[in-house]
Amino acid sequence: MKRYDLIIVGAGPSGLSAAIEAAKRGMNVIVFDENERPGGQLFKQIHKFFGSKEHKAKVRGFVIGKQLLDEAAETGVKVILNATVIGLYQDKEIVVKIGEAVEHYKGNSIIIATGAAENMVTFPGWTLPGVIGAGAAQTMMNIHGVKPGSKILMLGSGNVGLVVGFQLLQCGCEIAALVDAAPRIGGYGVHAAKLARTGVPFYLSHTIVEAEGDACVTGVTIAEIDSSFNFIPGTEKHFDVDTICMAVGLSPMSQLLKMAGCKMEDNPKRGGQVPICDEYGRTSIPGIFVAGDVSGIEEASSAMIEGRMAGIAAAEYLGYIDENELNKELASLDKALSGLRQGMFAPENRGRLIEKTDEGIAVSDSLLKKGYVADDEIERFPGFTHTKGIHPVMECTQNIPCNPCQDACPKGCIKIGKDITALPAVDDSVSCIGCGMCVASCSGQAIFLVDETYEEGYASITMPYEFFPLPEIGIKGKALGRDGQIVCEAEVINVKSLPAFDKTNLLTIKVPVEYASKARFFKAE
Amino acid sequence: METRIENHPILGDTKKGKPVTFTYNDMEVQGYEGEPIAAALKAAGIMVHRYTKKEHKPRGIFCAIGRCTDCVMVVDGKPNIRTCVTPLKQGMKVQTQYGVSADTFDKQQRGV
Ligand SMILES: Cc1cc2nc3c(=O)[nH]c(=O)nc-3n(C[C@H](O)[C@H](O)[C@H](O)COP(=O)(O)OP(=O)(O)OC[C@H]3O[C@@H](n4cnc5c(N)ncnc54)[C@H](O)[C@@H]3O)c2cc1C
Ligand code: SF4
Ligand code: SF4
Ligand code: FES
Repeated sequence: MKRYDLIIVGAGPSGLSAAIEAAKRGMNVIVFDENERPGGQLFKQIHKFFGSKEHKAKVRGFVIGKQLLDEAAETGVKVILNATVIGLYQDKEIVVKIGEAVEHYKGNSIIIATGAAENMVTFPGWTLPGVIGAGAAQTMMNIHGVKPGSKILMLGSGNVGLVVGFQLLQCGCEIAALVDAAPRIGGYGVHAAKLARTGVPFYLSHTIVEAEGDACVTGVTIAEIDSSFNFIPGTEKHFDVDTICMAVGLSPMSQLLKMAGCKMEDNPKRGGQVPICDEYGRTSIPGIFVAGDVSGIEEASSAMIEGRMAGIAAAEYLGYIDENELNKELASLDKALSGLRQGMFAPENRGRLIEKTDEGIAVSDSLLKKGYVADDEIERFPGFTHTKGIHPVMECTQNIPCNPCQDACPKGCIKIGKDITALPAVDDSVSCIGCGMCVASCSGQAIFLVDETYEEGYASITMPYEFFPLPEIGIKGKALGRDGQIVCEAEVINVKSLPAFDKTNLLTIKVPVEYASKARFFKAE
Repeated sequence: METRIENHPILGDTKKGKPVTFTYNDMEVQGYEGEPIAAALKAAGIMVHRYTKKEHKPRGIFCAIGRCTDCVMVVDGKPNIRTCVTPLKQGMKVQTQYGVSADTFDKQQRGV
């Protein structure tokens, strides 16, 4: 039987990060992953990540994935693909199925980084072809280059539903509706707003009555539900769709840990059945560690830090580093991780209704129910000003761990401060040069440049634009509001695409000045 | 094939293998070498991969990562092949799976 210092199951962000840290300290590391390619969820994620510089904020998920793979190769990590680990025993032996062969390996330490599986909900017709998981949609469009459908209903308003919904629009699909049984949108408001301004309608407190079709989905009916989950008669709405996409949560894939005899618990805040472990991933069995979504559903950014922690803890367990070094290394990672776990969406706030921001501003009710901040709510947030000349307008109204906008501005116009969950504010004392770096770096596509004095009677609005075809200068069309409804006529006056913008194009339109605070999207005629 | 994403605003052109021809039941279909069989079928607008054994209910792609077995078909005579994780090759013979066979339920009942 082959023996390694460290065996890692799962080559996602957490598993790879763990492998890199352990290999750097001289350990002999092997990683198994069931897929044909490594990277876990990262290669399906094409949006810019939140966080701060140390969390690789504003870098797109698949680019982070490439960086991790390069680093793993440099440090000599061995990754075995198409290899499904089917057994884990207390004595740290694993059973792995590679093709038709079943092999046994022994590790002096083990890190389980198997990630999560998608949940599903059932309704009449849910097994019809055309009902797919959100992960399947991502795999089809972002890995294989095939559209998952043409007209789609998205079920689930968490970050996965919102992000995958936007990705569907980017590859040319139409979203008929975004539906959630909960009374409020679960994911980040900025993600919801990106969809809402293109015209995607949100139906909260609604769920699917049935999917229609004989051989495959041809339509769907939804209806409103009351607080005890019963359909309210007369509220049915029908959509002609060919695809229903489910994004109804993830559950940790912790079966291997249970099999090995690790102590487990049912913890809804961590997403279900999870191993009992300390903050560095040490389970109840010495030498078996966990990292990433398998120990509690979070994000790739936190999964990478958890992976690094577990890798370092495993190095200490086997004596590759001493306790002093361990504590030193973990202290800085602790700081990075706690930075991500703050704000309105922090794990301890799951399921809680928050009425005010940390700044004491009433949150936007419309954002939680309809996916956009209403015109009469937006003025109260510190990112929204009417400064003379060109200036940034940040429509970022929830306390989320994110600050690339502040780092992006060469002039210092945008202030978040030390606390990365604070709302971005405009510093009126410095003048904006209109370079657009903030617009392109905003992970939430929530920054616009507005010039209310662009021309006599006209304002210019610059917005992030990640769709094809890219409108050309001179093209006329309609400006849409935050709610996706037409507000006025508009003309494209500039299109800027720079390498530094990393594929976020900057589209500038001209609108009558009275619509400067309303126009937030453009649709060509 | 308009279901193919030719030019993506973030990902650019999707890298494809060389074009290949395979058969789906008796129909000739084009796809790209190395992509999952299921991706080629989806691009060709084919949704139903199999019918369940007992209730004869249609199934198609659901998870696309090899976990749910909804997408299994008879490939080169072998049943239960997960088409979402099986790479396409030139000349492959892909058939709808009825229960665990490529024969329709009618044919299975008549025992021919
Ligand atoms: C649509 C979407 C959007 C997201 N957006 C963001 C975001 O903006 N920012 C952010 O930080 N996070 C985001 N996330 C979350 C992030 O992707 C996950 O939290 C992260 O990928 C978890 O990393 P992981 O390494 O724990 O698991 P994974 O990435 O899931 O990797 C686990 C790997 O282990 C493999 N595996 C599992 N079991 C076995 C086994 N028995 N044998 C062999 N291999 C096995 C799996 O196939 C997989 O490759 C998003 C997730 C989704 C779905
Ligand atoms: S446009 Fe440039 S100068 Fe103006 S706020 Fe944005 S980054 Fe700063
Ligand atoms: S405005 Fe700043 S803090 Fe808000 S999403 Fe954009 S980059 Fe992040
Ligand atoms: S679609 Fe689930 S196994 Fe292929």
